[in-house]
Amino acid sequence: MSHKVTNDEGMQFNREEEEENDDDGDGMDLDAWERAYADERSWESLQEDESGLLRPIDNKTLSHAQYRRRLRTTSAARVQKGLIRYLYIIIDLSRAAGETDYKPSRMVVVARQVEAFIREFFDQNPLSQIGLVTLKDGVTHCLTDLGGSPESHIKALMGKLECSGDSSLQNGLDFVQGLLNQIPTYGHREVLILYSALSSCDPGDIMETIKKCKASKIRCSVIGLSAEIYICKYLCQETGGSYSIALDESHLKELVLEHAPPPPAIAEFAIANLIKMGFPQRAAEGVVSICSCHKEAKVGAGYICPRCKARVCELPTECQICGLTLVSSPLLARSYHHLFPITPFDDVSPSVANDPRKLPKNCFGCQQSLLNPGKS
Amino acid sequence: MKFQIEDVTVYFPYENIYPEQYSYMIELKRALDAKGHCLLEMPTGTGKTIALLSLITSYSLSKPSNPVKLLYCTRTVHEMEKTLAELKLLHNYQVKHLGPSARILALGLSSRKNLCVNPAVVSAENRDSVDAACRKLTASWVRALAAEDPRVSTCEFFENYEKASSDAVLPPGVYTLQDLRTFGKEKGWCPYFLARHMVQFANVVVYSYQYLLDPKVAGIISKEMQRESVVVFDEAHNIDNVCIEALSVRVRSQTLEGATRNLNKMSQEIERLKATDAGRLRAEYNRLVEGLAQRGNLPISDTWFANPTLPADILKEAVPGNIRRAEHFLSVLRRLVQYFKGRLQTENVEKEGPVTFVASINAQVGIDQKMLKFCYDRLYSLMLTLEITDTEEFMHIQTICDLATLVGTYTRGFSIIIEPFDERMPHIPDPVLQLCCHDASLAIKPVFERFQSVVITSGTLSPIDLYPRLLNFNPVVSRSFTMSLTRDCICPMVLTRGSDQLPVSTKYDLRSDPGVEKNYGKLLLEMVSVVPDGVVCFFVSYSYMDGIVNSWHESGILKEIMQHKLVFIETQDVVETTLALDNYRRACDCGRGAVFFSVARGKVAEGIDFDRHYGRLVIMFGVPFQYTLSRILLARLEYLRETFQIKEGDFLTFDALRQAAQCVGRVIRSKADYGMMIFADKRYSRHDKRSKLPSWILSHLRDAHLNLSTDMAVHIAREFLRRMAQPYDKTGAMGKRTLLSQEDLEKMVNGVSDMLF
Repeated sequence: MSHKVTNDEGMQFNREEEEENDDDGDGMDLDAWERAYADERSWESLQEDESGLLRPIDNKTLSHAQYRRRLRTTSAARVQKGLIRYLYIIIDLSRAAGETDYKPSRMVVVARQVEAFIREFFDQNPLSQIGLVTLKDGVTHCLTDLGGSPESHIKALMGKLECSGDSSLQNGLDFVQGLLNQIPTYGHREVLILYSALSSCDPGDIMETIKKCKASKIRCSVIGLSAEIYICKYLCQETGGSYSIALDESHLKELVLEHAPPPPAIAEFAIANLIKMGFPQRAAEGVVSICSCHKEAKVGAGYICPRCKARVCELPTECQICGLTLVSSPLLARSYHHLFPITPFDDVSPSVANDPRKLPKNCFGCQQSLLNPGKS
Repeated sequence: MKFQIEDVTVYFPYENIYPEQYSYMIELKRALDAKGHCLLEMPTGTGKTIALLSLITSYSLSKPSNPVKLLYCTRTVHEMEKTLAELKLLHNYQVKHLGPSARILALGLSSRKNLCVNPAVVSAENRDSVDAACRKLTASWVRALAAEDPRVSTCEFFENYEKASSDAVLPPGVYTLQDLRTFGKEKGWCPYFLARHMVQFANVVVYSYQYLLDPKVAGIISKEMQRESVVVFDEAHNIDNVCIEALSVRVRSQTLEGATRNLNKMSQEIERLKATDAGRLRAEYNRLVEGLAQRGNLPISDTWFANPTLPADILKEAVPGNIRRAEHFLSVLRRLVQYFKGRLQTENVEKEGPVTFVASINAQVGIDQKMLKFCYDRLYSLMLTLEITDTEEFMHIQTICDLATLVGTYTRGFSIIIEPFDERMPHIPDPVLQLCCHDASLAIKPVFERFQSVVITSGTLSPIDLYPRLLNFNPVVSRSFTMSLTRDCICPMVLTRGSDQLPVSTKYDLRSDPGVEKNYGKLLLEMVSVVPDGVVCFFVSYSYMDGIVNSWHESGILKEIMQHKLVFIETQDVVETTLALDNYRRACDCGRGAVFFSVARGKVAEGIDFDRHYGRLVIMFGVPFQYTLSRILLARLEYLRETFQIKEGDFLTFDALRQAAQCVGRVIRSKADYGMMIFADKRYSRHDKRSKLPSWILSHLRDAHLNLSTDMAVHIAREFLRRMAQPYDKTGAMGKRTLLSQEDLEKMVNGVSDMLF
């Protein structure tokens, strides 16, 4: 038995060595020892305590506590929140996004987090829409228009991962502001910027652009990857967004995901609005019909707009023909969680929890075992 | 909030107080009680000014029978305004709590340039021409002339002020320069003369160093201050240089030419006067026989220059007979100017003491020491007699007389240095004759003697034991305070090696090494790519900066830097530098990011703040030693060694390090701010250099940061910037109290009172 284990380890070791050799061949002109010094920084995971002893850095508990605190503050007061959000994610793909202080590189990490975010976002805000924009070579590129389908966004994002040139915050904001201005007033306009660079090369006066964003009530939030930049801070302050800097990948994830639950509505924006919505029936099973969203004939499941009877493939969406917002009631219900949050659970001491007579063994909702969390 | 320090109730206009402010006040209170001088170092951004003001005003409120007067000296007009604004806040608070009995009169005093409200006068371009324009309108003979002839113009504000005479007073309150101007405009009174008059009655006066230290000015403005005054020198780390500057004179060939012109003009005037009004000259002669001009009896508008020597040194005797007559005096001056011209023609550098200099003047042109001593007063009297108002034009001859009087008065602490050309540009003849003062204690001595307490305070006074020796006084309290911080918001680092592990330094033998230049360039390049917004670089001198920027340009490093940030450079031209600074700020504001190249000991290093995003990182390239081959410096070092037993090396290091500390201190101006400081020279890692840094920097300089190479520094910078960008708790949780409320203070006083120490 033991012999086998050592064998396995040896094999693993060999494999790692091979990988390293492969890397060397990839045009990385640093020697292995140099790279270890420059990139891996094994000493970083250690820190010195008061008595001079080394111990691993314990960021997790700290950040976890931070996260919990934030959750509590957001759920404490009952505030009005915008449920229908139109969010543009601006991803900075300038030269700085190629830096390797996040492994393997900033842009890969960012893309990974954005992917997770998009899924989480649609899970929590089924009625909302996202658009993706990148900044590269001082120019803004639109990856996807506003839309409600996570898959199409993710596909577009993953296809376009290369970085070069400078980034221009002003160009990005101008572009997004132009698009968001056309959104109906009940929707909440938001921009989330993932900024790798430490400067912004702008063609004009960015202050004007910030003023415009403020005037059209766009909430801009920035997540920086390296350090605090004044202009970003100013932008967030002016437009009511949040500005945060990621310490490492896990912290970045946390910060990005913080933007998934809807933010409190801007005060002057918070007038109650009635929105016309359609609840289409799932219909046309097995019938060939022309889909209004893909402009082609499709067979199988789809939804019929209750007003103009056009066929759409998925919900939520806006009817291409008559412009009616199409949702389903479960989606609406899910969004309502943000308005009426579940009261925090009470902690139960383990002794009580271990007493099988007092408490049920399984969760009544999902039937997971409460005694051994993690195993069903 | 209000609290007790021993028997004094302190009124403090804010809700909370920093612990170091509290201990600062305690020390200050002790010094006031002991009626002695004190030396207090506390980092900028900890509210030094308000602590000082609130303690001293509260102290004087608590002793109504014998209130102390506060003379607050600042370096710049900007600082003066800031101080007055804080005082205003404090005053409002005190009046709110104590009622109208707490009312005080506080005002700022500055030059005519800053106070004049006459649009015709204030439009002149510099300070001297404003002064001259003012005198043209307000001199007593001009006004006498105007009384007869209505075509002669006068200043209506001054006339109104004179008319109101004793009614022209300021009601109690705090007046900034702007307030004074508004008040003056409203009443139609000249704010400058009003302020100068009210200085005697004010409880708090805020003005510039010169009004106390420069004997030429101090004689007029600060003569009538009472002994029960507290004098505060704020930002006083360069006070020794200010003192020396006040008593040093330089004469160039242009000065001598100007002086000759002045003399010709004066002799023409005398001829004219002889023909028209010989009586006036005779009257002057008689007055001089009796003793020097009774300055006290002259109207205040005429007292425009006083003796450059110290009050104690002015002898109460009559002007020597051979310069009493105007023609004789002029010929003496002519001979003196001729002698200086001859001396300037030398090919070699010459250095001598005042005694030999006076002896050689006596031997060659026959002017003895006593005549020299009276030159300045005699000239003053002559110019009054000749009714000369354009003092700007006669600047040159004043300089000559200034020098003559100083040389005639002092036998120690000075030296004369004649240099035929600038050491750095030996091909251009630019002869200069300099009278250098070496002893900072000379100028400040009367201040220490006349006033009950003198407070010298700054963010950088380390090593704190050297200042009493330089200024020759005995402080009753000398303390250095550190900053209590909720987080480690400053990150000093000593960078000793470049990315190739070779040492970097601006030592003379290493400075022009291309490897060192390249390493410095690489350092900056790496730093601009990880630091957001503003980065400030300080170089040891203009010539070094020119050289290294040139070599960076050739090797293309500068171009790479420009990809990340815009580059701005300080030049010797003030206007250009101001423009550069302005654009630098704009580049920081709009997110483009910028680097500012500046020079230690320059204008920027002394007076401009690079707080918040305007300076996230400051790099000090090299150790800013003075130019050690300068004759003036060598002479001063020799004097210091002989008189005060201060070793050359110690003084040079002290001076270099205080400049370095001053430069890097620009980056952090408040507790909420954060910034990094890189000392890029291997010599900083040595203990003798490092230990001279102020304690608030030293306490953050970790041992691990003492011997870094470029890549390690970049890594530390990255981590630091990330950490600082995280939200934090401003009141300081986790047992580290950095803000004390009134209750905390009461608890502290009742409980263990020395918990802080």
